[in-house]
Amino acid sequence: MISLSDFKHEHPKASIAVSIKELGLTYKTSIEKKPTLKARIKTLGRGKKHTRIVRAVDGISLDIHYGSVLGVIGSNGAGKSTLMRVISGIIPPTEGRVDVYGSVSTLLALGVGFNPSMTGRENVYLGGLAAGMTEAEIDENFEAIADFSELGESIDAPMRTYSSGMYARLAFSVAAIVEPDILIIDEALSTGDAKFKEKSLNRVKELRSADRALILVSHALATIEDVCNEVIWLNKGKLMARGNPAEVIAEYQKFMNVRKSASSDEDV
Amino acid sequence: MSEPLVTYLPFKAGLPPMGTYLRSLLKRRAFISEFARSELRNQNYGSVFGQLWLVLNPLLLSAVYFLLIYVIGGSSDSTRFAHLTASLFLFYLVANSLTGGVKAITSGQRLILNTSFPRIMLPLSAVVIAFLKFLPTLVVAFVIHAVVGLSYSWQMLWAIPILTIALLLATGLAILFSCINVYFRDISSILPYLTRSLLYLSPILYEASSVSDSIKQFQIVNPIFYLLDSWSRVMVHAQAPELFSLVHAFSFAFMIFVIGTYFFLSRERDFAVRL
Ligand SMILES: Nc1ncnc2c1ncn2[C@@H]1O[C@H](COP(=O)(O)OP(=O)(O)OP(=O)(O)O)[C@@H](O)[C@H]1O
Ligand SMILES: [Mg+2]
Repeated sequence: MISLSDFKHEHPKASIAVSIKELGLTYKTSIEKKPTLKARIKTLGRGKKHTRIVRAVDGISLDIHYGSVLGVIGSNGAGKSTLMRVISGIIPPTEGRVDVYGSVSTLLALGVGFNPSMTGRENVYLGGLAAGMTEAEIDENFEAIADFSELGESIDAPMRTYSSGMYARLAFSVAAIVEPDILIIDEALSTGDAKFKEKSLNRVKELRSADRALILVSHALATIEDVCNEVIWLNKGKLMARGNPAEVIAEYQKFMNVRKSASSDEDV
Repeated sequence: MSEPLVTYLPFKAGLPPMGTYLRSLLKRRAFISEFARSELRNQNYGSVFGQLWLVLNPLLLSAVYFLLIYVIGGSSDSTRFAHLTASLFLFYLVANSLTGGVKAITSGQRLILNTSFPRIMLPLSAVVIAFLKFLPTLVVAFVIHAVVGLSYSWQMLWAIPILTIALLLATGLAILFSCINVYFRDISSILPYLTRSLLYLSPILYEASSVSDSIKQFQIVNPIFYLLDSWSRVMVHAQAPELFSLVHAFSFAFMIFVIGTYFFLSRERDFAVRL
């Protein structure tokens, strides 16, 4: 379990930040909504376990280098968030291995908003402390975070009173101000309003540097094409394509359209 | 190429490297105190009236139980009241850790799914919260002791090791049940019945010496029976606890702590996929 403040290494450009080898991840969830003792006792006699198996990541090998901005695209449920969680060490892989050469921060990863009855301020502190920052480090950055989020007085209101955009603003601000070696932003770019979107995009561009690796997960293809210098496309847990943003995005769009027209053909 | 800082490999049930684990736990200890503080502030214990309630609540509760004893038993004296309150307060330290701890993991879902940290911090925070709530009641217990006019002696210092054992037990229970609740979510709804039974099976509403012989043989399996008995001896009667009681209380606390921690640590990497 590494923490954000442990490592502030200098990374030579193009050295490897994350190396993923033959990674597979299978979710095993019970059919019942929640696993309970009652349900377990009920199925005891029948011997058969009611589990749904989801292969969320399927044999992905990938190297991510410092200095690169990697875009991750794919349809809903493609396994993007799952892959990000494995890279940040939140979920252990089912098979394969992941080597990480730096400190990782996942956006939303700072666990911001984990307790909705607490204020934004308390959540920022708790999320930061859980991620391994010291109180002094958070104190130091808090003003900048609050400013960036433009939440004003709402920062001291309980987070259950926040709109989803306000949530995303705070989460993005935390991740963008704290400067980790490897920054993963999962879907938080697209929830803010137009002005904040622009601002966060600019911040991402600012964060691009030779000794940092950025990973952006988004459905906003234009944004991805704009900021990333490499894109991977995931589909049903598999790596479909990797390379030049324009090409991969074009391929992805073609694939989506083909499937769409195929299904609409069936309707006829 | 340099060595990787971390490598993530497939999950195997088994303890994580303990040195690294403890180090990252120690590094995040500020989380526990901050969490406890925010949580208490949230439950309105930041205000003066909130803190007053923290004292008033157990006091009213013991008044109710005292009434119950009086109505059923007919006899009651002030020593009895001191015994009841002191024991009840310690019992609530353990019970609050348990009820706070059982949901520690399942309600920390958002944090767990998005941050990598030693998960054991969450049940530990629940124990710290229970302990902070216990402290003012300890003051109340001493006030009652003085008001009732009970004697004092150096033997009362035994309260410190007994409290330590109680905390060990509370921690063990919180860790164990927070882990069990991930796999069986209905544990948290059975829990109130369990704690209530434990309350009646322990020497709180009655003194340990008044248990009838036929039932006495079962008290050995109650993890908190001798703990509470020692506590009452020390805090109310200002006598030294029996050695057997201390050994019994410690053995149970230690056993539950070790079992709970082992289960928790060997399973915690698996929590994220089960929430
Ligand atoms: N906690 C979980 N338990 C069981 N299955 C899960 C869990 N989380 C995700 N899944 C499954 O894993 C697959 C991949 O999910 P994931 O969240 O990684 O998709 P995604 O690419 O991030 O999608 P989106 O674009 O909607 O965010 C989905 O089929 C989903 O149902
Ligand atoms: Mg996702």
